[in-house]
Amino acid sequence: MKTATPNTLLARGLIILLMVVTLLPFLSMLSAALAPQGTYPNGLQWPEDPQWGNFIRAFEVAKMDQLLLSSVLIVLGVVPISVAIATMAGYGLAKLTSAKYKWVYLVFVFGLTLPFEAVITPLYYEVRALGLLNTRFAIILPLIGLYMPFGVYWMRAHFLNVPQDLTEAAQLDGATRWKEFLLVQVPLARPAIMSLSILLFLWTWNQFLLPVVLVQDPMQRTMAGALGAFQGQWGTDIPLLCAGSLLILAPTILLFLIFQRQFVAALMQGAVKG
Amino acid sequence: MSENTVSAPDVSQTALRRPSSSGRRKARLIAWAFVAPAAIAYAAFVLVPLCMSVYYSFLRWDGIGKARFHGLTNYITVLTDSDLLQIIGNAFQLVIYFSLIPVALGLAVASAIRSHMAGRFGTMTRTVLFLPQVIPLVAAGIAWSWMFASSGLVNQTLKAIGLSDWARGWLGDFVWALPAVGMIGAWVQLGLCTMLLVTGITKIDPSLYEAARLDGARAWHEFRYITLPGLRQEIGVCITVTVIAALASFDIVYISTQGGPGITTTVPGLEIYRLAFAHRQVGLASALAIVLMLLVLISIAPVQWLTRDKK
Amino acid sequence: MAGLTLRSVIKNYGEVPVIKGVDLDIAHGEFVVFVGPSGCGKSTLLRMIAGLEDITGGEVKIGDRVVNDVEPRDRGVAMVFQSYALYPHMTVYDNVGFGLKLAGTPKDVRDKKIRDAAKVLQMEHLLDRRPAQLSGGQRQRVAIGRAIVRQPDVFLFDEPLSNLDAALRVDMRMELARLHHDLNATMIYVTHDQVEAMTLADKIVVLNGGVVQQVGSPLDLYNTPANLFVAGFIGSPRMNLISGSVAEVTPERLRIVSGPSSFWLEARGHGLAPGAEITLGIRPHALSVDPSGTLAGKVQLVEQLGNETVIRVLLAVGTEVTAVLAGQGVHAVGGPIALGFDAAAVHLFGADGNRIALSGD
Ligand SMILES: Nc1ncnc2c1ncn2[C@@H]1O[C@H](COP(=O)(O)OP(=O)(O)OP(=O)(O)O)[C@@H](O)[C@H]1O
Ligand SMILES: [Mg+2]
Repeated sequence: MKTATPNTLLARGLIILLMVVTLLPFLSMLSAALAPQGTYPNGLQWPEDPQWGNFIRAFEVAKMDQLLLSSVLIVLGVVPISVAIATMAGYGLAKLTSAKYKWVYLVFVFGLTLPFEAVITPLYYEVRALGLLNTRFAIILPLIGLYMPFGVYWMRAHFLNVPQDLTEAAQLDGATRWKEFLLVQVPLARPAIMSLSILLFLWTWNQFLLPVVLVQDPMQRTMAGALGAFQGQWGTDIPLLCAGSLLILAPTILLFLIFQRQFVAALMQGAVKG
Repeated sequence: MSENTVSAPDVSQTALRRPSSSGRRKARLIAWAFVAPAAIAYAAFVLVPLCMSVYYSFLRWDGIGKARFHGLTNYITVLTDSDLLQIIGNAFQLVIYFSLIPVALGLAVASAIRSHMAGRFGTMTRTVLFLPQVIPLVAAGIAWSWMFASSGLVNQTLKAIGLSDWARGWLGDFVWALPAVGMIGAWVQLGLCTMLLVTGITKIDPSLYEAARLDGARAWHEFRYITLPGLRQEIGVCITVTVIAALASFDIVYISTQGGPGITTTVPGLEIYRLAFAHRQVGLASALAIVLMLLVLISIAPVQWLTRDKK
Repeated sequence: MAGLTLRSVIKNYGEVPVIKGVDLDIAHGEFVVFVGPSGCGKSTLLRMIAGLEDITGGEVKIGDRVVNDVEPRDRGVAMVFQSYALYPHMTVYDNVGFGLKLAGTPKDVRDKKIRDAAKVLQMEHLLDRRPAQLSGGQRQRVAIGRAIVRQPDVFLFDEPLSNLDAALRVDMRMELARLHHDLNATMIYVTHDQVEAMTLADKIVVLNGGVVQQVGSPLDLYNTPANLFVAGFIGSPRMNLISGSVAEVTPERLRIVSGPSSFWLEARGHGLAPGAEITLGIRPHALSVDPSGTLAGKVQLVEQLGNETVIRVLLAVGTEVTAVLAGQGVHAVGGPIALGFDAAAVHLFGADGNRIALSGD
């Protein structure tokens, strides 16, 4: 905002208003989280005697350590595999297939707008048939499949922009397709792969429907799923609920603050392309 | 210019030597090898379940016992049952809040700024406005349940400015629960839409505005004839993302109202879950799921068509 | 050590023929240049040799081996692209060594080869840089380095210098000539640039519309263009083409008329009869101001270049011709002028566009 037109003040005012509105719910939760246990606090009121201990209690009650572990395991199960196979397919569809096979891509793209609710019922029976109900695999495997439309779409868009010359140079240099992919294409695709990883991480970490339907035990769920269970159990103890929710949010928010630039870029591009 | 040749033989007499089919087959195999893992995952956990959804939707089945073929009955129920129609209607009402508010506010901010948000202020703005995008919707639901609670911040504020009559348990109110849920969605989408539109407006050539001003354009004209067309793509993106979020909403409603009071805030996503797993009406749930999928497609298609190709 | 043979090579894109049957023999160590107008199929032909395009029909042989179905990597060819096509994420060292690494060459051997190539191309100081940190000419060197470390049987160049500025182009051209001499390798080179073609080539292949028009040494093409296309394409400024007809034929001579102009040519064994329509070709450098010359017209344009003067003259028949005159003569625009020429420098083309030999051999 270099030029100071009269509008800049208005704009600044508007933006600050938006920021306040965005932050208020968090502040309100924080103030409630610090209220004495068992009380029914007010919306936004700094307690006279902040009970920071509520966070420790919430940590224990929510079994945060186990939750974190569970979420990390799920993310580790979903993101690397999804990114790897989406990258391969994106490359295959962008570089190895002729226009005749565009339909394969279109089938993938069809899934872009598919609400997860549309397949959740059969997924339940499918996962049950596989004997995976109530395990982390009940979340991991379906998510990999559900991420393919976006992942393939995203990576293909990237590979379409890589000059064909590089592929040809690699071929003449003696690279097989696989070597070319690993040694030339993947290193060049690093930014796209990075963004995709961030998005899939967020979506997995925040996934709610699948854990609710497919996994009963909160300790086998994602953070978001566990938060749902936590609310169900402690919904009436406002200070504890707020403290627990903030704790459960903390890891993502921390990551977000550290990698703010990458997250914002990924989310914006993700929206534009998705 | 002569097409005559010195050295070329008559083409028609040259036997065409087709490139070996084995070479081509090999290239095709390699291509498939790259695509196959993704295709298998996609087929196993999206395409197959989707087909099963379609199949179930023609059944009367409680998920355990024997299924009976039910024809189109489930679809007829979805499209005639007043409760289900209200539920679908709720989803479309949510669209107003999820889409309209963020896009309108985003446009206002964008046309006021009309330049890059650089420097520390810009970074801070981005960070704050994106917070709702990185937290789980469940958390947004919990936070706002607390905001809308009877002793929550919303009522506190109303009382503070002398509107005590307005204070109420928003999420338990038959009239106000749905708008309240809508506001949660608006809060989540606001930052993303604003940032997309602000970024979009910086790509519009500033000289267009200068030219318009020389032509005597008023602020409204600038907005109508330069900003709006220039932001067509970004607006399309915002609407697409938010409409999908509204129609397929589940997390927020599940956490904040459980669909109540009555069915005033029940949305298709929640109803599918209830029908399939609580009421054991798998067939009806699946029919609703297919209808939901089609509704999303039908709603998105015109937006995409209007905002992408007319360039 | 390998030459290259193309036999009735055809390429169709779908139904559209792009290469319409090309025959070509290239001996080992030859420097062959493909020239032709844009879209005539030069790149396509080169890429077919490289294995980057399917061969629709015919046969490509490298050495004694038919390579139609051989993967590019197994053909023993290396290619330098117009866009350089360097791997952006690798250093110059890794770019040059990539092919060797893929081939499993031991590290020390590889290192030596990379450094040797760098020395030949005078880019030892660049080895640690990435392509983005190089100038156009330096990138070109790296691209060439990448080709030479692999010691291919055949080097392929697709307009390698067209992205460079004029001065650099001249330098690189000389460097390529030196490289060809030092490596004693077969090189095939595609270019738009006549000067590149004339200076580098042992053999020029002129293509038009997917058909080879003429193959020969640069001077062959200049001195005896096989048809109107080659005549117009090789040489700068373009050869003047003037239509005319045969007026008289004697055993030793031929009288040609073109509008009011008329002159005799020494000619034997050409098979022309009086009345035959022909096209005369006279290079601009072969014309001179000659008050008794047969080509009379009006000066349209004068360009003084210092060492020579280029004038354009509108002949009475309505054809414009260009003459390049030595020195700094003074010519009034719009004034009358008569041009003469040495009859030995005249090229004759028949109605079908092909060259008519005048010496009977
Ligand atoms: N992939 C393709 N599909 C269809 N036609 C093509 C394809 N590639 C090239 N062509 C056509 O083949 C013809 C020859 O192309 P090519 O690139 O070989 O020309 P060129 O002689 O190299 O031209 P330039 O000097 O402009 O590089 C052109 O008419 C072009 O339109
Ligand atoms: Mg070309």
